[in-house]
Amino acid sequence: MMFGYWSGEVIAMDILRPTGEWSARLMIFAMILSPLVSLLGPRPWLNWLVQRRRALGVAAFAYAVLHLIFYLIDMGNLDDMLAEFWALGIWTGWAAMLLFVPLAITSNDASMRALKVGWKRLQRLVYPTAVLVLVHWIFIHNNLGPALVHFIPLMLLVAARFFLSPKTQTKGA
Amino acid sequence: MRLFSTLILGGAAAVAFVASPASATGVISCKAGPVSGWKSQEVLTAKLTKEGWTIRKSKVDGGCYEVYGTTPEGDRVEAYFHPVTLEKLYVGRRGEVLFRKAGY
Repeated sequence: MMFGYWSGEVIAMDILRPTGEWSARLMIFAMILSPLVSLLGPRPWLNWLVQRRRALGVAAFAYAVLHLIFYLIDMGNLDDMLAEFWALGIWTGWAAMLLFVPLAITSNDASMRALKVGWKRLQRLVYPTAVLVLVHWIFIHNNLGPALVHFIPLMLLVAARFFLSPKTQTKGA
Repeated sequence: MRLFSTLILGGAAAVAFVASPASATGVISCKAGPVSGWKSQEVLTAKLTKEGWTIRKSKVDGGCYEVYGTTPEGDRVEAYFHPVTLEKLYVGRRGEVLFRKAGY
């Protein structure tokens, strides 16, 4: 795809969709790990993934940055971006990007040590971010399908984790 | 028990989702007859370019020609044209309809 872009066969507009989708997928993947641990108990493969969760989050952010860069290239000027800024599918994307920044820049050991308990609280910003991403995805295409296919599993897992009593959780371990 | 009801709910949601028909992506649809009667996208692009448009991309959507580009007035838009008459049917940007032909 990138080769296609450099050679001129693929235009910036065509790269918006795959970069955005991969960003959302990586974010969702990082987010389902905790609920899976709660539901399934500790499993070696889950632990392996949980240990790499921060990298998944940073990768999601990297794709979001690419997504934004190609949006800027595609739009080309500030006037056109401002003209559509308040569309529901657009400002939610900007807001999600804004929330994504502190998540990404604190995704390192030094920040975890410095923020202590606050780190976890800060990283919970991923939940409002996910809601913004969902709304952005639905309204950019005015289409529920693809966004829900990705987000329903996440919503079910988060809900299941929330509603399951701690007793049930330990039984599963 | 809660896990069970969650699974039931999830299953129901999945069924409801799969059962609902896929919505058309286009904001406009044209009933323009067989493709053999259509003018080519190149003709449309050439016509619009002559009128002062900059065309980034064009494709078929909802049986119409859908064009992404910049209008002669300088607005970055998505526009729909009838594939037989090449008549302008819709011009809009994200979150705002700039033009819509009556009846479409």
